[in-house]
Amino acid sequence: MVELYWLQGAVPETAAPTAEMPPWGETKVVGTRQPRVDAYERVSGSAVYPRDFTLPDMLHAALLLCPHPHARVKAIDTSAAEKMPGVRAVLTGRSPGADVPWYGRGDKAASRLFDDHLRHEGDEVAAVAAETPDQAFDALRAIRVTYEELPFVLTPEAALAKGAPSLHAWGNRYGEPSVYERGDLAAGFAAADAVVEGTYSTACELHAPMEVHGSVAKWDGSRLTVWDTTQGVFAVQQAVAEALKLPLAHVRVIGPYMGGGFGSKLEGGKYTVMAALLARATARPVKLFLTREQEFLVTGNRPANTMKVRVGAKKDGTLTAIDYHSMGSGGAYPSGAGTAFLATDLYTCPNVRAVDENVAINAGRARPMRAPGFPQGAWALEQALDELAGKLGLDPVALRLKNVPTVSQRRGNQPYTSTGLAECLRQGAKAFGWDEARARAKGTGPVRKGVGMAAALWGYGGGPPSTAIVKLFTDGSVNLNMGAADIGTGTKTVMAMVVAEELAVPLDRIQIEHADTGTTEYASPSGGSKTVPSDSPAVRAAAVEVRSKLLALAAEEMKVPVADLALDGGSVVSRKDPAKKLAVTAVPGLQRQQVLVGVGTRGPNAEGKVVSEFAAHFAEVEVNERTGEVTVTRLVAAQESGRVMNRLTFENQVRGGLVMGLGLGRTEERVLDRQTGKMVNANWHDYKIPTALDVPAAQEVLSVDPKDTLCNTTGAKGVGEPATIPTAAAIANAVANAVGVRVKDSPITPPRLCALLHARGKVG
Amino acid sequence: MLPSFSYARPRTLKDALTRLSASGAHPHAGGTDLLGCLRDGVFDAREVVSLSDLAELRGIARTKDGGLRIGALATLAELARHPDVVSRYPVLAQGAAAAASPQLRNQGTVGGNVCQRPRCWYFRGDFLCARKGGELCYAENGENEYHAIFGGSGCHIVHPSDTAPALVALGATAVVASAKGSRRVPMEKLFVLPAVDIHHETVLAPGELVTEILVPPPPPGARSLYRKVRSRAAWDFALAGVAAVVSVADGKVTNARLVLSGVAPVPWRVPGAERALAGKPLDAASAAVAARAAVEGAAPLAGNGYKVDLVRGVVEEALTVLATPATPA
Amino acid sequence: MGSDKGDDDRLDGREGVSRRGFLGSVVPAAVGVAVAAEAEGAPKAVPAEPVAKAGEPLKATLRVNGRVHHVLVEPRATLLSVLREELGLTGTKPGCERGECGACTVLIDGVPRYSCLTLALEASGKEVTTVEGLMNGEELGPTQRAFAEEDAFQCGYCTPGQVMAAEGLLRANPSPALDEIRLGMSGNLCRCGAYAHVFNAVAKAAELRKGR
Repeated sequence: MVELYWLQGAVPETAAPTAEMPPWGETKVVGTRQPRVDAYERVSGSAVYPRDFTLPDMLHAALLLCPHPHARVKAIDTSAAEKMPGVRAVLTGRSPGADVPWYGRGDKAASRLFDDHLRHEGDEVAAVAAETPDQAFDALRAIRVTYEELPFVLTPEAALAKGAPSLHAWGNRYGEPSVYERGDLAAGFAAADAVVEGTYSTACELHAPMEVHGSVAKWDGSRLTVWDTTQGVFAVQQAVAEALKLPLAHVRVIGPYMGGGFGSKLEGGKYTVMAALLARATARPVKLFLTREQEFLVTGNRPANTMKVRVGAKKDGTLTAIDYHSMGSGGAYPSGAGTAFLATDLYTCPNVRAVDENVAINAGRARPMRAPGFPQGAWALEQALDELAGKLGLDPVALRLKNVPTVSQRRGNQPYTSTGLAECLRQGAKAFGWDEARARAKGTGPVRKGVGMAAALWGYGGGPPSTAIVKLFTDGSVNLNMGAADIGTGTKTVMAMVVAEELAVPLDRIQIEHADTGTTEYASPSGGSKTVPSDSPAVRAAAVEVRSKLLALAAEEMKVPVADLALDGGSVVSRKDPAKKLAVTAVPGLQRQQVLVGVGTRGPNAEGKVVSEFAAHFAEVEVNERTGEVTVTRLVAAQESGRVMNRLTFENQVRGGLVMGLGLGRTEERVLDRQTGKMVNANWHDYKIPTALDVPAAQEVLSVDPKDTLCNTTGAKGVGEPATIPTAAAIANAVANAVGVRVKDSPITPPRLCALLHARGKVG
Repeated sequence: MLPSFSYARPRTLKDALTRLSASGAHPHAGGTDLLGCLRDGVFDAREVVSLSDLAELRGIARTKDGGLRIGALATLAELARHPDVVSRYPVLAQGAAAAASPQLRNQGTVGGNVCQRPRCWYFRGDFLCARKGGELCYAENGENEYHAIFGGSGCHIVHPSDTAPALVALGATAVVASAKGSRRVPMEKLFVLPAVDIHHETVLAPGELVTEILVPPPPPGARSLYRKVRSRAAWDFALAGVAAVVSVADGKVTNARLVLSGVAPVPWRVPGAERALAGKPLDAASAAVAARAAVEGAAPLAGNGYKVDLVRGVVEEALTVLATPATPA
Repeated sequence: MGSDKGDDDRLDGREGVSRRGFLGSVVPAAVGVAVAAEAEGAPKAVPAEPVAKAGEPLKATLRVNGRVHHVLVEPRATLLSVLREELGLTGTKPGCERGECGACTVLIDGVPRYSCLTLALEASGKEVTTVEGLMNGEELGPTQRAFAEEDAFQCGYCTPGQVMAAEGLLRANPSPALDEIRLGMSGNLCRCGAYAHVFNAVAKAAELRKGR
């Protein structure tokens, strides 16, 4: 799972930064509250998302998916469908160019674009392109497929059982269990004054972005252009080029807006290749988007995990041993399912064993989902720590403060560039009123109040490669060119703020080109909380280069040393003699050259140091003991993500993390029918994501800023993932605090909690 | 994507009923349930008969006897905010307000809410279940967390409506019309258990349409409420709920009607609990006794045993709330 | 539909205009095609009930954002698909097309509804307002402005639906309390989880609307 956000193969390096960039001191723009630079487009309806995209003469395509969890295609008869009104092409694995390896390369591929061996409900069987969407779907109903149904397995336990059906030639294990060990576990437990032990589980969670996955594909001769809803246009370009054996230069992928991904849109999708094949077969542009129901089956998930945890500590709370075992499933095709990282690195503990097992089952393949593995790990570890605190008679915050690390034990004991964990715990507790809330009565009626907290770290602080280009025009307006997608996190706005900081140009004078492999610079997919720390230093470097060029030209004209010049508003000003100033638009060199171009690259991270983000979340709940209903009434998030670039979007993103964490903890659960292996809740009524009434209006966001000048040249770390890691665990701890019943299996629904409350004899 | 169907929007009820008498014709009121069923392939429609132009099916008005006449096309939003409903029939206003989402309440009608098809995920999904003409009730040995603890036999759906339990509790009557004429059916008799008819949820014959609902005047001293428990705080169907109409005179319960939602294939009246309240003061003690009586005869499946406790909890809470003087009558 | 608008009656009448003529003039494969002009000079027909066979387009009059569109739509065409595919109004988003997310929310006669669960024929003759219709030329309307200023979205895909739900809420209740805002916005999912910002935006929109 750790590897998920790294690129395949060697990480390309970018050149060292082109300009000297001392850390920012006081900033004028960076750190303020700025509405998004593209807010107008998003609220006016003028933003064209890939789902909205239309081309002249465009066809509409639809996918036929396997209705069985495990089957073999014996025959496909598309003849009736081909004759349906408006149908222009039907694509199957037998179609020209459609025999493409998928989920891996060449012989090592786990499957094909269309595979006769269908390993989960939703595996692709055929695609149709027709004049209208309705005609395409009508034609799907006319395709006759003969399936041989095969026995299936829905859980890792079943998949490992003797005689279980094999999904893959090599069996059902994705590699041997990964085992991490340090110290002496037995000695650690022997030295403990208290030990807690428990089995926790998290339900499978689905990304369910508002915009379904899909593409529009158009050929111009041998060159292909794709409009894709994606977190990374370059990842899609690579997948499509490889599948269709095209030069990268002949595949242009464009994705300026996208309606959410949360990790499910980090990679190229089968639908993109299918759209391209249908477009080639018909010589017309083709639009292929999944339906909402299909989206639930094939575009990834956060796998269900079962975690056994044993933790030992001294009386004073010093951790002595952690034994952690996680079982998960990447689904029917290889993907990550590990959860053990937090257990090995969040707290100082000399004796640790952590095992991750990953097994194939006949259900949709996992994809990285917002902090993959971490919320599950926090659900187990942070509940175990809560129990431990109770057993030791310690305050849960105090217990954690006792074990705050300054080095990453998992990563060679290297020091962190900054570690705000202790401050997150302290400041979060203070803002929440933790001590008072703990002391407050829980109530005597059927509705009890409780509070809980949990902590987290996230392991990635960004890095190369990233390149950005900044152009200054003769009128002082600026163009920023970067490859990163803005997946809703406000990337464009943050980058514009960086440019504004360095070039003293108002935000509304900055135009941004981004997320287009044909015209913008390489960036890795936006995900893993690494977009700002990876790309903002490159943007800063580009802006600084433009500034250097501008000041050099101004120095010539003003007969002042460059070092004496600064940018202020629209002017170049002498620091020594502020009366000496020259409007940017009046710099003759700029007018002569028409444009000043700066190219910025992302330098490597500091050697021998680890960049991580930290968080502590606090939750207040009300639990109805008669019904098992839980109302989350208040949430406080304290985040250490380095420098806050845009206070407004930072807060928004953290709140989004809280809400997604609340979904994991309270409402979300994929349900597979044990009899048929089919998902019974592949829709947004039965798969429940939180509504406006499920989230508290009170969501306080604090930033702990340790002024990390080592992590990179903007001092910003990421926030998307750490903002969602501990929320569910904090809510579970609050529920336990309120009613004395610990819900170890997510989500905490009225059915589950009502049953537990009754079991201990409190109901009725 | 919706499969193809033909469409008619008659100008008169008579024409509508004539069209609906044809096989494969389905009425379209708000359309929210119909279009969902068609998209999911729960059933096919040869013709969709829109009721939108039938003004006579609209409106909420007081009747001469002091009761209420609710046109089948009255929307849930209208019902939830109608002053007469809010003040005299809180249970019904609350039931309407507890359904679905604001947009769906603006669109969905009371007739449609009462006659909507069940939300069982097997019935709605790609499963040929017994209710759809297959052999098997998949819920019986499957994922039955949301299914019935009462009245299931061969099929374990729960009735999805939040207004129907309220209407049963209020003793309302449905006016049912077809091309052949019209009849009155007490709401309590409108719904059928799977043991009687596994393919339908109501006694409506093919071509019959609920055109209006008549609610008698509230009994003197009546207090009422609808309480619903759901997994998600909005836009979700009941795990369990109760529509309670309780009349109190001289400190004693003179009449009680308790109807459960979310736990049986029909709005589930619990006469045992009603009897337990009769003649008693409405207080915590009688509420607890009635709550216990409410779950008598429950037959939970493997995954929904919690509903027994939940029903007890929700009935006890509802009655306790009704017992407090602050509750508007 | 149409009983109060003679114009509509004429256009709804199947006998009024040669349907074959209409069909002949459009791309045969297209399901619903915007008919360019008012059907001027069409003979006045007796109001008849609209009837269309499966797969056969029927004339409908859609009033969207103050403009009248005469369109041919197949019975199964939803208002959502006609707004987007035929009228080019892609501000209204498909999220689930089954009434479970709210991204497609529009106002129909001023009231928020899901356009994915509304047949286009059912919207015929009614006043439909989409997010584009809240604009004042190139200027954002007050509800849109409040959403922009309060950062009431992240990816922005659910936003037009959220904005329309808020607009409908505020038209019915110009000064909603926080609880009323939360209830009023409970028919619109936001997977990015920007709800708290949405609540602020609706409160701010209420103020901006009073000030305009």
